Amino acid sequence: MEASCLELALEGERLCKAGDCRAGVSFFEAAVQVGTEDLRTLSAIYSQLGNAYFYLHEYAKALEYHHHDLTLARTIGDLLGEAKASGNLGNTLKVLGNFEEAIVCCQRHLDISRELNDKVGEARALYNLGNVYHSKGKNVASAGTHDPGDLPDDVKNALQKAANYYEENLTIVTELGDRAAQGRAFGNLGNTHYLLGNFRSAVLAHEQRLLIAKEFGDRSAERRAYSNLGNAYIFLGEFETASEYYKRTLQLARQLKDRAVEAQACYSLGNTYTLLQDYEKAIDYHLKHLVIAQELNDKIGEGRACWSLGNAYTALGNHDQAIHFAERHLEISREVGDRSGELTARLNLSDLQMVLGLSYSTNNSMMSESHVVENSFNGTRPRVGRRHSMENMELMKLTPEKVQNWN
Amino acid sequence: SQPLAGHQTAELQSKVVPSKQILHSDNMEMEPETMETKSVTDYFSKLHMGSLVYSCTSKRKNK
Repeated sequence: MEASCLELALEGERLCKAGDCRAGVSFFEAAVQVGTEDLRTLSAIYSQLGNAYFYLHEYAKALEYHHHDLTLARTIGDLLGEAKASGNLGNTLKVLGNFEEAIVCCQRHLDISRELNDKVGEARALYNLGNVYHSKGKNVASAGTHDPGDLPDDVKNALQKAANYYEENLTIVTELGDRAAQGRAFGNLGNTHYLLGNFRSAVLAHEQRLLIAKEFGDRSAERRAYSNLGNAYIFLGEFETASEYYKRTLQLARQLKDRAVEAQACYSLGNTYTLLQDYEKAIDYHLKHLVIAQELNDKIGEGRACWSLGNAYTALGNHDQAIHFAERHLEISREVGDRSGELTARLNLSDLQMVLGLSYSTNNSMMSESHVVENSFNGTRPRVGRRHSMENMELMKLTPEKVQNWN
Repeated sequence: SQPLAGHQTAELQSKVVPSKQILHSDNMEMEPETMETKSVTDYFSKLHMGSLVYSCTSKRKNK
């Protein structure tokens, strides 16, 4: 019986290492069924089951097994094992949105690592703590309608703590010469600065991330850095630079054959060219985005594409196309039950219909057009809530003064 | 009622502030989590090494 449990667990390990977590889970669960009296073996099985479920995004199961592992590690007095289980439990609780408990667990991971003088463990615990505070801050921020740099105190405090933990982590991993860990910390530190509205610091961190990604030939990380740099440059008001970074994102997304990311890059480019008031290019990229959204059956993405296209055609004075896309936006918003999108589309349509009506009756199309452009680009739309779509770009208003304040 | 309130605010602002359109992305690209790992293989290789060391030392002692 004992050998059988071990054999099953070893096969589970092999499968997980080969990237087949689903099959690995079956073997680990079979091993648990068979059972063992060796509690260290059982602890390793629980831990790996927890991680496999984590990677499979089955967080309730991950939580269950990491909790079993923690209990077991404490029972047998395995301090290092307890630290590891606490860290994993903390990461899982974070994903589940239970930030307070996640902080307690990650702090335990940190305390034990320091007690054992385990520098690697300490650095990893600091990174995890940074991630928990980042998620906590982002979670509260996204519940409201705050823009980066314009945050309530609790959000700012959480994000500042995240930045401090990433900095502490960076000090240790730099001493240890762990470049991969430095890359991760720079990436998340950059995103934390971005949310805090420190866009120059965000750029500096993402530039470091980019450098390390190139060192490792890690093209996914390189693509992430380009995209994050693009986002930061948008807020610095440097749209040309942002467009260059988004183009590199697009190039890599195509090389990596990631259609969803390709769509996101096209959408970002469409929006950037809108900011640059180059509506032809904006339309070109938004159409590319639309095609992929349809291909991936991403209705929310398709709706946003139609909305953006409606705006761009309105700006060009092509009211027929503008109405076509506004109608399609309305249709899709109804289909997906997006009340806010529906309202937006109705407003756009009524604006457009009024313009066309006025144009025909008063023959004063110049005035009518400028009226539409003013209304549709100056924020008559309600904000759309954060969604898990391949494209999460949001339209927002920002005065040039505000841009300066943020720098 | 939330979207409506948001809409009213946006509309009011648009009349007061000569705004410039800008876009921002909530789609930040985060780095992956790092999970701590335990392994049955590591544990058993250590155990095996331990028993080897033990048998060697006990053999030496016996001699």
